[in-house]
Amino acid sequence: MTEPILEVRGLRRSFGTREVLTGVDLEIGPGERVALRGPNGSGKSTLLRCVLGALTPTAGEVRVDGNVAGTIAARRLVGATFSQDRSFYLRLSGRENLRFFARLRLRDARRADEEVERLGEELELDRVLAQRVDRCSTGMVQQLGFARALLAEPRLLILDEPTRSLDDAAVGRLWGALDRRPETAVLFATHRVEDVARCQSERVLAQS
Amino acid sequence: MRRDWLIARSYRTAYVLTFGSAIFNVLAYYFISETFDGGAGAQLDGAPSYFAFALVGIVITTTVQSAALAVARRLREEQLTGTLEAVAGQPLRDAELAVGLAGYPFVLSGLRTIAYMLVAGLLFGVSFAETDWVGFVVIIFTTTAFVLGLGLLIAALVLLVKRAESLAGLATFGLAFLGGAFFPVEAFPSWLEAIARLAPTRLAYDGTREALYTGEGWGSDAAILLAIAAVAVPVGIWAFDRALRRQRRRGTLGEY
Repeated sequence: MTEPILEVRGLRRSFGTREVLTGVDLEIGPGERVALRGPNGSGKSTLLRCVLGALTPTAGEVRVDGNVAGTIAARRLVGATFSQDRSFYLRLSGRENLRFFARLRLRDARRADEEVERLGEELELDRVLAQRVDRCSTGMVQQLGFARALLAEPRLLILDEPTRSLDDAAVGRLWGALDRRPETAVLFATHRVEDVARCQSERVLAQS
Repeated sequence: MRRDWLIARSYRTAYVLTFGSAIFNVLAYYFISETFDGGAGAQLDGAPSYFAFALVGIVITTTVQSAALAVARRLREEQLTGTLEAVAGQPLRDAELAVGLAGYPFVLSGLRTIAYMLVAGLLFGVSFAETDWVGFVVIIFTTTAFVLGLGLLIAALVLLVKRAESLAGLATFGLAFLGGAFFPVEAFPSWLEAIARLAPTRLAYDGTREALYTGEGWGSDAAILLAIAAVAVPVGIWAFDRALRRQRRRGTLGEY
C-alpha cells in the first residue's frame, strides 16, 4: 500500500473554550482527491490551516509525507489557497505577486519567472497577471490564489472553496489543471455538489 | 527587498518625497546652526559646527527609525493585507522572514544617508577632509546590525500586540534623545548624563562624529557596537520566532 501524503490523527483545535475540531482522523494518498464538506463554522478552514501549519493543533497530530505540519519540509510539499483569499500585495500586479511567492518556494529567480509564465499560460491568466491586484475582481484574485497554490508543483493541495467566485470557464480551467496533475493529492473544501462529484471521496465535518 | 521596492515605487509621490525630505531635514538644522552659531560653546564631539554635529544626528536617527518604525510598519501592513499568513506558510525559516521584512527599510536608510551626506557636503559646505571613510562605513554597519536586533524585537511585539507603532516611536525618540542626536549629552543634568552614557546609540553618534570629523577614535565605539549587535540580533531573531510560534498556537496569525 502507498504511504499516505497526509495523515491527520486525533486532531483537536480549540479557540478559547470553543472546540472547533473534536478529534479528526483523515488520511489521503498520492493523487487522491477528498472533498471536505460541512456547514459554515464546522471547522473546514481550521482543518486546512492546521495542515498548512498556520495553526498549531491543540491536540493530535498532522503529518505531511511523514513531516510534522508547519515544518519547512512539510510546507515545501503543500500548496494552499483560502476562501475569500486576498492575501496578496495589492499594489503589485498579479505577475509580481506570483514571482515573489515563486522565488520564496524555488529560491531561483529565473526558474521562478519561468514557473509563473508557465502557470499563467496554463491557467490563461494574462489579464490577471498584468493587472494590479487591487484592480482585480474577486474571481480574478481567486484564480491568482489557485495559481499560487500550484507554484513549484506541491504534492498536496489544500483548497478552500476555490470555485466559489469563479465563472464556468475558470472552474473548467481549475479542474483541467488538477486533472493534469494526477499524482497530486487534493483536500478540497467546498459547498458545491459539482465539486464533490469530481472527488474520489468526501469527508463531512459536523458543527461542533 | 524587490517586493518592498516595487510597493514603495507604486506610491510615486511618497517615494520621491522620501528623498526630498532629506533636503528639508538637513536644511532645518542648517538654519538652526546659523542662528546659534558660536553661541553655545558646548563640546561638539569633534564636529566643526553645530550643523555638522546635527548632521550625524539625522543620519544615525534615520537608521534607528528604519529599524524601530519602518520594520514595525512593514509588518503591520503584512498583517492588515493578510500577506503575513501567506508568506509564513511558505517554506521559509522564521529568521529569513524577519530579516526579509527588514531588508528594504535598511537599504533605504543607507540611500538616505548618502543623500544627507551629499546635500550637506555639496550644498552646505560641511567638510569631510578629515573623514576616515572606512571608519564611517564600519560604524554605520555596526549600528545597522545593532538596530536590526532592536527592530526584530519590536517586530516580535507587533506580532503579539498588533499596534505597537507608538512604542516604536517612543523607543526611537528615547534612543535618539539619550544618544545625543541633536545636542551633546554633556548638556544633560548629571543623573541623566549617567543614563545617556549607557545608551548604545551614544556609541553610534560619537563613533560617527569621530570617523567623519577627526578620522580617529571610532574603533572602540565600533567594537562595542559589534559586541552589542552580536547579542541583539540572535535575541531579536529568537523573540520573533517565539512570537510567530505563539501566534500559530493561538490561531491569531491571520488576525489584524
